[in-house]
Amino acid sequence: MADGVTSLLTEELRGWIGREVAYAAPEEIGRASIRYFALAIGDDNPLYVDEAYARAAGHPSIIAPPTFVCETCQYAHRPPNQDGYIGHVWELPIKGCRMIRGGHEYEFFRAVLPEDRISVTWRLEDISEHGSSRGGSMLVVISAATYSNQDGNLLARNRETLIFQPLEASR
Amino acid sequence: MTHQAPAARALEAGMPIPPLERALTQVRMVAYGAATWDWHRLHYEPEYTAARNIAGPIVDGQMFGALLAEALLDWLGPPAFIRRMSFRLRAMVFAGETVRCEGEVTSVVAERDFDVVRVAQRVRVGERIAVEPASAEIVLPR
Repeated sequence: MADGVTSLLTEELRGWIGREVAYAAPEEIGRASIRYFALAIGDDNPLYVDEAYARAAGHPSIIAPPTFVCETCQYAHRPPNQDGYIGHVWELPIKGCRMIRGGHEYEFFRAVLPEDRISVTWRLEDISEHGSSRGGSMLVVISAATYSNQDGNLLARNRETLIFQPLEASR
Repeated sequence: MTHQAPAARALEAGMPIPPLERALTQVRMVAYGAATWDWHRLHYEPEYTAARNIAGPIVDGQMFGALLAEALLDWLGPPAFIRRMSFRLRAMVFAGETVRCEGEVTSVVAERDFDVVRVAQRVRVGERIAVEPASAEIVLPR
């Protein structure tokens, strides 16, 4: 790949930087979704299921586990794609690459409650090209999701890094 | 959840976070995918991962965020509020593997009328590091 001069970061791709898309859930989160998430993780913290316990801890009711709100599929209203995925994706013009999740930065502004109806705005913050430790180059795509509720209260922010590696370099 | 949560004044840099171990069975991965409306075939379909040179169904990276948060809140108890977390995914974790979330305090700083505990965390599968670096800031009311 050392002599490969074609850049993965095309002008067309650069044009995606700064794009935004917004999704809104049609209904509130509800207690069942919160209990389901905690059960699936295996998290037995009573804050997520026991009203009296949560109130004694100073909350108005049970609360959601912190990262619950950052799982965005439920807000997106998209049909399943060929991967089965119904959540938010940028349909980026990237060919012949494998996508790998690089990491997340979460900020939480207050506990999420069953009555919160979530709106999320995704913004494509940056796309950059880097040398890969496997040789060749790779694309790093950074997006930020901002979550708020029906009253406009800011709940959380989720900055996500996705990495696109050329398939021949990823083997 | 039955232990006594430590007060901020009892914490200092270097103190370990009680580790959290969890078997990430295929059943748990499917349950997490369902609870988060994530139907991606990567998380449950061996034919799909094999066709992409991946050894088997892989754990959703954000599941580690949930586990790292669980470890912190089990340790610090209900008054604790996580205001910031970040983590970098290093290696894939496959269906059936058991992960261990561990870490330690990096600082405890007073801010207005609360204390802020900063921690470094990581997730490993045996000797393999799956998530690192990971860090968090937890607010503890005084």
